[in-house]
Amino acid sequence: MGSLSTHGTVKGFAVDPENPKTMYAATRDGLFKSADAGESWKPLGKDVKNSAAVTVSPRKPHDIYVANVEGKIFTSADGGLKWKAQK
Amino acid sequence: MKNRYYFAILVAVVLFGHGAESHAQEKSRRPPALPGDDRTEIRSKNIPVRFEQVRTLAIDASGKFMFVGTPLGLFRSDDSGRSWQKVGVSTKQSNYDVIAITPDPRDAKLMYIGTREAGVLKSADGGLSWKEINTGIRGPDVRGLAIDPNSPSKLYAAVREKGAGIYRTNDGGAKWARVDGGPQGEIEVLTSVNIPTGMGGIFLYAGGSTGLQRSPDCF
Repeated sequence: MGSLSTHGTVKGFAVDPENPKTMYAATRDGLFKSADAGESWKPLGKDVKNSAAVTVSPRKPHDIYVANVEGKIFTSADGGLKWKAQK
Repeated sequence: MKNRYYFAILVAVVLFGHGAESHAQEKSRRPPALPGDDRTEIRSKNIPVRFEQVRTLAIDASGKFMFVGTPLGLFRSDDSGRSWQKVGVSTKQSNYDVIAITPDPRDAKLMYIGTREAGVLKSADGGLSWKEINTGIRGPDVRGLAIDPNSPSKLYAAVREKGAGIYRTNDGGAKWARVDGGPQGEIEVLTSVNIPTGMGGIFLYAGGSTGLQRSPDCF
């Protein structure tokens, strides 16, 4: 799980319930996604800085929700490719 | 005579000037704003709600309700985080610092939260009423709470400071026992994951200041 440690504290963590090798980690540097149960990670959603928490919809696992430290919610409907701020 | 007059003005200017300066210094020593003024305002059915900080985010098994844990307590949203309502968790204290929210993956009415002040609490009615379930847990400061996706009556709690360690329950929190050999260090999040590897089984993922750790669920 080495590559994540360079991005500071892991504040939030969520797993795709249908495909548990797909996981998301929220850090101060933003959100990261792994497709191999945490062996490798890639950054997602450059707009979501200072992320504090992440969750995956149990019914629609492509729906990802992230909160930044201040409580602003960002949503993605495609597993983290495109993001928008919740209004 | 004239000189004395100018001298008096000079003295007055110096005194007044000095007075104004010390007043300014005093003012600058005051904090610029009250703590909490920078909290983000979030609409709650048109009533503003203030979160100090977001600790955790979760969605119940039905997918209907989103929950957020904050130092000011637990909040629930029925519109994917556009508006929030406070969820009363305790009659003893107005706010618990809610660090972890762990919904049961099958039963939308059943959920658990981890708090810094009161350990683990459980609700069996979608968050209307809560009960502390800490038999066997030796400290109040819970930082991570994981539920086994295959057998949801099995949970792990990460406790910091007093009674620090990882605790396990096999009966939905009726009793807990401390376990050795689990994840180490300052844990911020704890999750049980069913990894379909050759060996199969549940792994415990712990996130914190050193990144992410994975432990097999057999310690």
